[in-house]
Amino acid sequence: MTTGQFLISGWTWSGAFLAVGAVAAALYITMFGVRRRLGYFAAAIAVSVVALISPINALADGYLFSAHMLQHILLLLIVPALLLLSLPRSVSLAVRPRALGHPLVGWIAGVGAMWFWHVPALCDAAVSSRPVHALQTISLLVLGSVFWRQILAPREKERLSPPGAVLYLFSACITCGVLGIIITLSPVTVCSIYTMQPVDRFGLLQTIRLGWGMTPERDQQIGGLLMWVPMCLIYLSAIIAQIARWFAEPVVPATQTT
Amino acid sequence: MNEVTTILDRAGLLTPLQREHWAMAWISTVDHKRIGILYMLTALFFFVIGGIEAMLIRLQLAVPHNALLAPDTYNMVFTMHGTTMIFLVAMPALFGLANYLVPLQIGARDMAFPRLNAFSFWLVPFGGLLLHFSFLAGGAPAVGWFAYAPLSETPYSSQVGVDYWALALLVLGIGSVGTSINLIATVLTQRAKSMTLRRLPLFSWMIFVNSFLVILALPVLNAALVMLLIDRLLGAHFFLPLGGGSAIMWQHIFWAFGHPEVYIVAIPAFGILSEVIPVFARKPIFGYEFVAGSTVAIAFLSLLVWAHHMFTVGLGHTVDLFFVASSMLIAIPTGVKVLAWSATLVGGRIRLDTPMLFCVAALVQFLLAGLTGISLAAAALDWQTKNSYYLVAHFHFVFVGLIVFAILGALHYWFPKMSGRMLSERLGKWTFWLMTIGFNLTFITQHFLGLAGMPRRIYTYADLPGWGWMNLVSTVGAFVMAAASLLFVWNLAASLLRGKPAGDNPWNAWTLEWAATSPPPVDNFRRLPPIRNRRPLWDDANPDRPDPMVGSKGKADTFAPEKNKTAIILFIISEAAFFAVLILGYLFFNATPQPGPSSHDLNLLKTGIFSLCLFASSFTIWRSERSLSQGRHRAMQSWLAATILLGVVFIGGQGLEYWTLFKGGVSVGSNLFSTTFFTLTGFHGLHVCVGLIALLIVLGLTLAGDFKRSPSPALKAVGLYWHFVDLVWVVVFSTIYLLPHFR
Repeated sequence: MTTGQFLISGWTWSGAFLAVGAVAAALYITMFGVRRRLGYFAAAIAVSVVALISPINALADGYLFSAHMLQHILLLLIVPALLLLSLPRSVSLAVRPRALGHPLVGWIAGVGAMWFWHVPALCDAAVSSRPVHALQTISLLVLGSVFWRQILAPREKERLSPPGAVLYLFSACITCGVLGIIITLSPVTVCSIYTMQPVDRFGLLQTIRLGWGMTPERDQQIGGLLMWVPMCLIYLSAIIAQIARWFAEPVVPATQTT
Repeated sequence: MNEVTTILDRAGLLTPLQREHWAMAWISTVDHKRIGILYMLTALFFFVIGGIEAMLIRLQLAVPHNALLAPDTYNMVFTMHGTTMIFLVAMPALFGLANYLVPLQIGARDMAFPRLNAFSFWLVPFGGLLLHFSFLAGGAPAVGWFAYAPLSETPYSSQVGVDYWALALLVLGIGSVGTSINLIATVLTQRAKSMTLRRLPLFSWMIFVNSFLVILALPVLNAALVMLLIDRLLGAHFFLPLGGGSAIMWQHIFWAFGHPEVYIVAIPAFGILSEVIPVFARKPIFGYEFVAGSTVAIAFLSLLVWAHHMFTVGLGHTVDLFFVASSMLIAIPTGVKVLAWSATLVGGRIRLDTPMLFCVAALVQFLLAGLTGISLAAAALDWQTKNSYYLVAHFHFVFVGLIVFAILGALHYWFPKMSGRMLSERLGKWTFWLMTIGFNLTFITQHFLGLAGMPRRIYTYADLPGWGWMNLVSTVGAFVMAAASLLFVWNLAASLLRGKPAGDNPWNAWTLEWAATSPPPVDNFRRLPPIRNRRPLWDDANPDRPDPMVGSKGKADTFAPEKNKTAIILFIISEAAFFAVLILGYLFFNATPQPGPSSHDLNLLKTGIFSLCLFASSFTIWRSERSLSQGRHRAMQSWLAATILLGVVFIGGQGLEYWTLFKGGVSVGSNLFSTTFFTLTGFHGLHVCVGLIALLIVLGLTLAGDFKRSPSPALKAVGLYWHFVDLVWVVVFSTIYLLPHFR
């Protein structure tokens, strides 16, 4: 199969995804109505489609570690952030035992999701077993939401202060970046399943290895680099947004005070 | 002697009491202003040394086939020039300015930890002596300031120069981390009440952000240095391909430090420009928020993009591509800054006094440095120019064109504050023009030399077309710069003696340091003007049209944590960076099995039991803290003693393990496993010992009756450190002992 053919036929439509997506959309519209924030929700659905339906999903399914990494980043960092942004500002996300709302919990959820699913055995299992894969997808969305809640909770009160948020994002980025560095520079394979001959469902292997020049080593390198560089840019964008939020407070003309 | 006292006296730098013991008064000082001045004087001293080395280099390269310096001597001189200028000139000068100015700008009496401050300073001359002692001990290092392995390893550099180099940089690195912890703690905990974080002057803000970079980046260098020393002194092979090590790993770790280092010295220079340009343009800075925010973005990006120093190593197209893209991104936040400064100039009533001249030149030259920087970020172009004088010209445009010019601008700007006297404007202008002409003559020429193919790091060259005269021009330029430097030193000395009295605020500036007298008294301020925005002195002078109020409401604005806790958390962050490198090194070097001892030779059960003791001690110290807060003094002491006992048992266990391994013939240099094992566990053990000493001191103090009346932050701080040491062991234990069983 050539690249062009694959881009057309590589879409993996799944009933479960469509059902969940439809129910979520229906729920969203009945609960919050059609308003400006619907755009964020639509974007979240669109990114989920890219991650879980588009050819990226097919590639992540046994062919390419780097595609898996892209999927991972989209599901952990982009989709949950967009979902939180889509909520109206009045929604409270306070959690019952107050300790669960601690920033450390959010931080560990975000960073832990990165590290946990790249333990070699788990990384392989998520590719080879359907239930584990489903568990991984759900856990990424949930943990990502827990992570972003500290930054993007609809209510200002439930968010970290901007400088705190900068430290939160910065340390999370460094800790995930270190994993990216390990994966990039490591002489051993992280997910060995991608180095084996996959079940070539699309007849694409020739194209990938020869046409695209994707050896397993280069594939892992790209995966690590995606985590090291572009992923950190997501955190950086969030940091810049936080600084903007901090400095955006309107200035009070001097005459009005004192 | 008497002359010195008269100079200091006339400059008002001594109180009558101190006149008699002036030397002692300076050596034993813990006043941030004096320490700042000492930092700057040390930097000036080493600037002269590094400058002489630069002149030797330029003399040697003035004509083709020159034999003034022997090849090895040349290598030593150029290594020492680079090392001196970065670690003993740029960093101390900027730390000195930060030390002097940050407390004044934020309305504080002193730094958060005056004695730590003195300690950090004295490490600089100590490190400098250590480095230069190598000349007497058998030859200075001759491996470049980057000390690439394997050249820096024993088989290729058998003399002690590299050892002194590594030890000196370790000492200096520890001092830098100490100062930076102190600066962050000062900004966070010592600000005047109404000096909220959003009202910080940009210089203080940038020093604040920059200090985080220092505490993250310097430990990475320290880790690289201890690994190099272990290679050289204990026969290990971290970076020696001969023994299975990886020379590229040295480059990775070195540049993981080395790239942020560029920003560590550049960001304070940005801070200087952001202070001086508005004052002399008579306008508030354009886009304070953007200048402040882009600093955070620059600091952040600088930690990620070090691999662009390694395009020619052969990491592969894939890696190169990512780092080309991310390196070019840095142009955005730096561009934001350049635009903000330029926009500040637009429409201002510009006064071209010497400080402003230096800063405007720095701005222009930095723009050029940035443009060549972008060209070097393109890997394909980098391959052609990396090893040439084009690169030399580029980074000298950053280090001299921006940083040295900014420092000179800062010194001309703040000298009146520090001494109470104005520098001679006439001499200042001469200095400026000589410096600018000399600098551009030297380094613009080198761009073309590089494009004409002249490689760097060579002691002489063939008489190829154009090379001879361009090198000569470059050398002439260098001597013009030397003349400018001498003129500057003369100006300093002469103005200190005979300068016009400055008054409190000679430039009509707006930040708090100008509210103090010149020089400021020991406790800095008699009275602080009200602070409601970023230009308190403007408001003070123009009550009828004050600036709008900014940054007052937020919780974060008035954030002021307890200082001991702050400092220990910052220390823990920097230690975490150090351990992260060692742990990554362990993972990297043990990724593939190798002949000889391995982690399967370790006794999991025994070490597990001793580890439990260490983990238990986290509980006991927590109990000890609780007892203290409940006022149960006896219980606190018992729990503390139990903690120490458990720690000692753990160290005993580690000693036992080492002994068993030694008996079995396993030593540091046996293979990469044993090297990484002993390095990682050894440094952890060292930290346990340090923790034990701290705990013993606290125990001794409580036995002597301290802490009775008020709850002490000391126990809490030591406790935090102890938890950290335990946490590191959780990671180390899992990595070394548990991980292999899951493979």
